[in-house]
Amino acid sequence: MIRLYDYELSGNCYKLRLLMSFLKVPYAVVPVDFYPGRQHKSEWFLRLNPLGQLPVIDDEGFVLRDSHAILVYLASRYDPAGPWYPLDKPAVLGDVGQWLAFGDSITATASAARLHDGMFYDLDIGAARAGAHRLFRILDEHLWFGEQEGRDWVCRAAHPTIADIACFPYVMLSEEGGISRQDYPAIRRWCDRFKRIDNFIVMPGVFPASHALAA
Amino acid sequence: MNAKPKCSDPVILNLWHAIVAFAELRPNTVYETVLLEEPVSFAIDSAQTPVAWRSQPAYRAGDTVDPARVADRLLTLSAYGYVWICLGTPAADIFPIPEYFEAKRRNLNAATIGVHVSAPRAIENFLDMGHFPYVHTNILGAEPHTEVKEYEVEITPDGNEVVATRCRFYQPKASAASTEGGDIEYVYRVPHPYCSVLYKTSHVDTARLDVIGIFIQPIDQEHIRAHMLLCLVDEDNDDVAIRRFQLTIFGQDKPILENQFPRRLPLDPRAETPIRADKSSVAYRRWLAQKGVTYGVIPAAT
Amino acid sequence: MSENAASRWHPIAAAHDVPYRHVFHGQLLGREFAVWRADDGFVNVWENRCLHRGVRLSIGINDGRELKCQYHGWRYSNRSAGCTYIPAHPADAPARTITIRTYPVAERYGFIWSCLDPVTEMPDIAALDQKDLVLLRGISVNAPADWVIERLKTYQFWPTNALGEAAAETVVEGSDEFCVTLRSSRNGAQTRAVLLVQPVDAGRSVIRGALDAAPAGKERIAVLRHHNERLSALRDEVERQAAAQPAPIPIEPVYQPVTPELAAMPERAPPGRNAALRVVVARKWRAGEGVAGFELRAVDGYLPTFQPGAHIDVHLPNGQVRQYSIVNAPGETASYVIGVKREPDSKGGSQCLHEAVREGDVLAISEPRNNFPLRRNATRTIFIAGGIGITPLLAMALALHHSRLAYELHYFSRSLDHFAFPERLGVLGDNLKPHVNLSPETTEARIRELLAVRRPRMQVYVCGPGPMLDVARRIAAEHGWSDSEVRFEYFRNTRKLDDSTGFEVALSRSCITLAVSPGQSILAALRERGIAIPSSCEQGACGTCIATVLEGEPDHQDVYLNDAEKRGGSRIITCVSRAKSARLILDL
Repeated sequence: MIRLYDYELSGNCYKLRLLMSFLKVPYAVVPVDFYPGRQHKSEWFLRLNPLGQLPVIDDEGFVLRDSHAILVYLASRYDPAGPWYPLDKPAVLGDVGQWLAFGDSITATASAARLHDGMFYDLDIGAARAGAHRLFRILDEHLWFGEQEGRDWVCRAAHPTIADIACFPYVMLSEEGGISRQDYPAIRRWCDRFKRIDNFIVMPGVFPASHALAA
Repeated sequence: MNAKPKCSDPVILNLWHAIVAFAELRPNTVYETVLLEEPVSFAIDSAQTPVAWRSQPAYRAGDTVDPARVADRLLTLSAYGYVWICLGTPAADIFPIPEYFEAKRRNLNAATIGVHVSAPRAIENFLDMGHFPYVHTNILGAEPHTEVKEYEVEITPDGNEVVATRCRFYQPKASAASTEGGDIEYVYRVPHPYCSVLYKTSHVDTARLDVIGIFIQPIDQEHIRAHMLLCLVDEDNDDVAIRRFQLTIFGQDKPILENQFPRRLPLDPRAETPIRADKSSVAYRRWLAQKGVTYGVIPAAT
Repeated sequence: MSENAASRWHPIAAAHDVPYRHVFHGQLLGREFAVWRADDGFVNVWENRCLHRGVRLSIGINDGRELKCQYHGWRYSNRSAGCTYIPAHPADAPARTITIRTYPVAERYGFIWSCLDPVTEMPDIAALDQKDLVLLRGISVNAPADWVIERLKTYQFWPTNALGEAAAETVVEGSDEFCVTLRSSRNGAQTRAVLLVQPVDAGRSVIRGALDAAPAGKERIAVLRHHNERLSALRDEVERQAAAQPAPIPIEPVYQPVTPELAAMPERAPPGRNAALRVVVARKWRAGEGVAGFELRAVDGYLPTFQPGAHIDVHLPNGQVRQYSIVNAPGETASYVIGVKREPDSKGGSQCLHEAVREGDVLAISEPRNNFPLRRNATRTIFIAGGIGITPLLAMALALHHSRLAYELHYFSRSLDHFAFPERLGVLGDNLKPHVNLSPETTEARIRELLAVRRPRMQVYVCGPGPMLDVARRIAAEHGWSDSEVRFEYFRNTRKLDDSTGFEVALSRSCITLAVSPGQSILAALRERGIAIPSSCEQGACGTCIATVLEGEPDHQDVYLNDAEKRGGSRIITCVSRAKSARLILDL
């Protein structure tokens, strides 16, 4: 059984909880006290991940760090024929790669702002918020044009991919870092669509959407 | 040098405010925070004695310090695992929580979380049960069990506390220790305008009560640091699991609090619509008004 | 900003921004809006604040008919914005009219428009009156609207059919405080662009543009990208300018205080059998054998919010007043639907509606009275309907159905043809259990089966002919169902009334004592003395004329109060009940 080293309030850990719920892959949670305990910087954890970051998984002895790397692994291993990381579609895989990187930038900005406001991390909050808004403008524009072209998701595919999972949590939690989504209506619609994926789960700070209108 | 304090509300200024949990501090190191818009620095010595002062350029966060050498100190005290300071003249001692001193209890700081809201709004949320099925879904409450049954509220005769008793709510999973649902009984106290303590029957030993306290440090009128004290009978789950549960609960409340307007608590009865389930909030608002609190609230038009 | 900014209609969203089951977060001149489209297509523009504790409604849930606040689950209805349900008190219909402040709305030219202080209806905008109008992507700008307008006057773009060619000529055709119209020409190709600037706040705006035509497919996307790119660059310039200045102070939000009644005491129902509303019969049809369906639409404005189980008084042209339950599903607030059974032995009320009243007629009706609230906190709800008793239970079943709560609707009727409102019944699917043409003995046996299994937190509602209710009552008592678990709604009080007693009634608040003579009801005696009490059926069935008893022993002759309430002796239905003691003291 997969062991997930996890912190309930971490958006990066939530990405894996989401994918494993979508794929119905069972896993056991190993809670790590990120805050206030700072267990992710403890000796035993640094042995698992020298970067001292969550999440980490241990799949029957195979240990992997970095939420996006883990998304790639889980989708490839447990859903190889599926649409989340379609191994047979190089163009989509390329798209996923570029948006996973974009998701990392969202983490560096929106997640940083959230840690500053909620857990008193010392960092340049102005730069974090400005950086997040720059990314959100790009994402909103991308999603708006996607809607015009009949696309509902971040990548050029008819089904959500792990790229959507990589971008969703810190976008959805952005207001906890003082980053409003009022100016990004296309992002807000995408968030509703994401919440309606079968087997969607919440995390603290995220609320479920209503059911979609039956076609 | 005593600069004029930014907070001009004497009621709030003369109270003890929690600023940090001891568990987070290393001795002889400078830490910084903001209380009532004042930058404040503090440190503990090797005997865990706290010292606090208005921040000065000579001592920066992270510096090593010998607390004994600090001059111009602020009033401090230690209680319930936290350092408390008072920027004014304390009108009273810290309020009592006798359960903290009982044997066979696990006492810990669940966490300290920053929220963009006023302290009184956060206290009201702590007193409220009607939101359990919607904000803490399948943990503290679930549809269709949404009823807030009639409960009692009073202000103690000495005027020091608002107390709500006979509060009952059906919960599917009431704490980290429970495995099934049932009607949980609560008692709530508000012994301080910015602090509240709740009591609920322990699932581990139904003859005793778990105690959860929220001590709010006002950074300014619309920003707080909420410190959460747990004083539990639970012996099965470890600290990490207990913290995880409480942080989940608080993490769910945060976006609601940050989406409430106005951010300061309006004391005018015409500002918002109370229902019978809001009896404790109505009493709390009236109590604040009677005390003359003006910080973090919008006083009623006279 | 000029004073007329508030009385002008502004675009606050593109229609595309308000899809079904979504809540759009809008803002105009500092006021925040929650904008949502109901399943019937209507776009609601509401103040973005729940009246309970001020939480933004834009983080709430649009379920197609109601907006549910994320904090305590309060539900507000489509169109009327009235609160229909407060989960903390499931047994109480929100006794007071809690209504979110709404703003006027118009959906035109592909945009959603609103106005803070309208003086007129939304005017026509000739420049936007195009068959092939193409909406550009909205561009948010962190700068005041007037700066954006100034800069837009110098906006350069290519005509739609001549993108990317050598320089085109762009001229300003017209402009005002919030709108610039430009025309671009090149080699005979021309495109007009109307660029509206929505003043969001003192230092924020949104550019909402529209072109008079564009090609389809890939070329259309190219045109949209063209403008998006150029307007974004324009936006970046204006923002650089704005950043060099101190940021303007945001407009102070205005929070409407709640009415004094809502802040304290519950609202008192208006006295008498008032007919506060005028409705037109929009539709009349055969809703089942012997049942006429009526759709009643407001003559002006909106109809008040109702809860499932509510009824209205209908004032008939022949002078009579009759009560009918509202059959509507949640959020259906444009009209009330009622079902009228033709009663051959009635005094003519149903006859009048079946024969004399026609589509287009105007009727006077009361506001909805909700004396049979639907609790939504049961683990399972069982409805038992007999004949026309289906009407209030159908509204309740539709409400639970829409909230995905567990229920069964058992409908006892003479024949399938007698089933009323088959299209609405169809929505319920398998939850509808028909019982057709059963003898009284079989009916009793079926009811016995239904009530035999009593599990905690179940609720039962029964409505139908008097004898059926009496049977159900007896069986429920036998199986240990309590008064709070089974509720009976009587349309009529068929008990023989005995009004032969005379007694005194003292009113504690008015300090009056009056005599109630034989043949006179308490209600009539009070009215005679000028004491106003609301009433509806005036036969002891609906509960509207209820009063609180402080002292004395009531003689209950109604069918509204349950046994526990009757034994408790603290409530009395003043239109039919009397006194066993010589005197009653009422809290009036």
